[in-house]
Amino acid sequence: MRTVQPAIMIGSYGWDQDRLPRDEFDLRIGELDRLMDANGWSAMLIHGDCEEHRLLAYYTNFVPRLRWAMALLPRKGEPRLLISMSARDVPAMKLSTWIADVRTGWDWGHFESWLKSLADGSAIGTLGFDGISGTLFGAVERSLGNRFDLRDASGELPRERPLRPRELSLAQDGAALVKLAAATAAGAWRQGRGNEAALLAGERTARANAAQDVRTLVSLDGGRSLVPFQGMLDARHDPFLAHIAVKESGFWAELFLTLAERPSGVMAKAEAGLDAALALMRPDADLRTLSAAALRTIAPLPLHPVLGGRVGRRIGLSLDEGEGIEPGSLWTLHVGAVDPVEGGAIASAMIAVAADGAHLLCRSRDV
Amino acid sequence: MDEPAPLNRIAAAVQLLEQRGADALLAFNNAQNSFLESNAVFVLSGVRPIGPSAVLIDRSGRASLVLTPAWDEARAAALAPGLTVTAADDLPASLADALERHRVDRRRLVTVALGTMGRALARRIEAVLGGTPPAIDDFTRDVARRRSADELAAARRATAIALSGYRRMLEVARPGLREFELAAELYCHMKALGAEDNFLLVSASQHNLAVRAAGRRVLDQGDIILSEITPCYRGQYAQICRTTVIGAPSGAMPGKYALLQQAMRRGQEAAVPGARVRDVTRAIDACFAAAGYGDYCRPPYMRVRGHGLGITSDRPGDLTADSDVVLEEGMVFVMHPNQYLPETGYMMCGEPVVITAHGAEALSTETATLDVIAV
Repeated sequence: MRTVQPAIMIGSYGWDQDRLPRDEFDLRIGELDRLMDANGWSAMLIHGDCEEHRLLAYYTNFVPRLRWAMALLPRKGEPRLLISMSARDVPAMKLSTWIADVRTGWDWGHFESWLKSLADGSAIGTLGFDGISGTLFGAVERSLGNRFDLRDASGELPRERPLRPRELSLAQDGAALVKLAAATAAGAWRQGRGNEAALLAGERTARANAAQDVRTLVSLDGGRSLVPFQGMLDARHDPFLAHIAVKESGFWAELFLTLAERPSGVMAKAEAGLDAALALMRPDADLRTLSAAALRTIAPLPLHPVLGGRVGRRIGLSLDEGEGIEPGSLWTLHVGAVDPVEGGAIASAMIAVAADGAHLLCRSRDV
Repeated sequence: MDEPAPLNRIAAAVQLLEQRGADALLAFNNAQNSFLESNAVFVLSGVRPIGPSAVLIDRSGRASLVLTPAWDEARAAALAPGLTVTAADDLPASLADALERHRVDRRRLVTVALGTMGRALARRIEAVLGGTPPAIDDFTRDVARRRSADELAAARRATAIALSGYRRMLEVARPGLREFELAAELYCHMKALGAEDNFLLVSASQHNLAVRAAGRRVLDQGDIILSEITPCYRGQYAQICRTTVIGAPSGAMPGKYALLQQAMRRGQEAAVPGARVRDVTRAIDACFAAAGYGDYCRPPYMRVRGHGLGITSDRPGDLTADSDVVLEEGMVFVMHPNQYLPETGYMMCGEPVVITAHGAEALSTETATLDVIAV
């Protein structure tokens, strides 16, 4: 779920080398080296910004807290990371990545000087350039002139990759943290707190437990829609419908949460719809089949509008990583509807798909 | 009752269109929010969008807000009276519809902030527009450079929230607490007071070189906590900068901190309507130079002496010694003579200010002092 993008991500973003050792990044960069060799490219540029940085984080561990960053990875020679922050921020940002040479991107000379190490006339592969701003892309193009060609590498790498055990371990930590945060929010609402106050209690729990990022949306109209924080802390609405997403060690986890003073038909439908989807969740299942089963269960009500027509997606370094239900994938499923009388409800779960089946990591009704 | 600021700014856009002989203005936001930059969609609609969005204004004064995602329409419509609001999941397609509704000649468009949009999306938008129209990217930051009465009231509220956040820090910071735990407490405390966002930097060291975002460092006696607390209330960011010592400060610190406080006062006095930013900066720098620290009035020992505050308008920009920007009554920005000194490390002292006829009035009711957390 998209939420209003904050001005800065305030969580703790250090590089935990016990959990993600340098050799993990050697494996990842090896993939790029092979790609460069196969295509005759002299380097790769990987762009990411504070909102979408999946590829940049995957290859460098660096997450831009604000604005953008770009990894400059030559096939031969030393990599460099440009960050859109001041030179004084560089020492702190170096703690987040294996790349030793981190420079401010505000001095474009740092791009130009890196470029000099490459042979003229070569091609350079790009990743994440769909999201680069026109202004920044213009600066790159001016520097390259007619000496280098850019080649989009995004089609040459797998869009969806299986999580290796150490990645899955981190993702499971995220799922545990979002469950803890959701349980805190649920407990606060059950004790009589307003909807936004209850959700803020959940956010506080996540942040106090070293979440890198926390995003929330809440309903103030009986579950019919979701809104970003409004500052109406004491307003209590029944049912309580909220969304909370937590990033832990780079991996997102999320849950929708529906609570009510009294059980309702729409809540039961949402849970039954989620049950129907979960029953079909297995390696190599088809998302359309899951979706059809969920929609049949909640019929004649349509899928809740905030879900954008989707009952699930892969989740990981980004909140939306595709739709392949394969071993080694992390999934979020969510099914819900709006009843004209009872209001809205969404039930959700996070699932790790392995070769031996689908493993439930957390489910909203369990908090 | 005054008209909402976005409606006045739409009227200014119409005047601009007439001057330029253009048919319509299209202002974009890429869904990011920089507290140092103007968000053109927010300035013209009052809506801080979730996804990529645009405001279309034609010469008749009709204005449409086209935003993503589709499910955000009700919130946006409530915040943007006077604008036709359309929410959809595909911005270019929705923009095409809006251009048809407004009967705009696409060859006579001007744009704001199209260059900030992601390249793939920008290409699709340009296909809808039939090319890349002329850009007038400074329009929204210029037109919003003086805060409206409502915006100033919101900035004052944001400042009060920041001060409460700082008081909370004095209550909870102690040896053994990790930086991110402190940041979590401050962030959530201020959110509970209504801050929808917060550019919050909190970090500690026995000898700081700069402030940074909170990490995993465990606070200890003798640490100097630097905090840049910047809550946002109804789209108005306000920033205070503070320096706090856990335990007794070193002998030199109080005297050196007084230097920062003096520089702040000199800056406020110099910041009258009509003054240039460079004059304010030089007034601040002169205090440090007089104390023998003239060589430290440059990076990396400091960055700037203050800066504008988004997302309304980042005017007057950075407070630097070479800025010719002229200060105007009603401008709001942060003034912060934050400074590295060799005896103390980096220290912070700053307040949000509004330019009045008598100089820069601090929005803070409590100005920065060197505070001590007893252990």
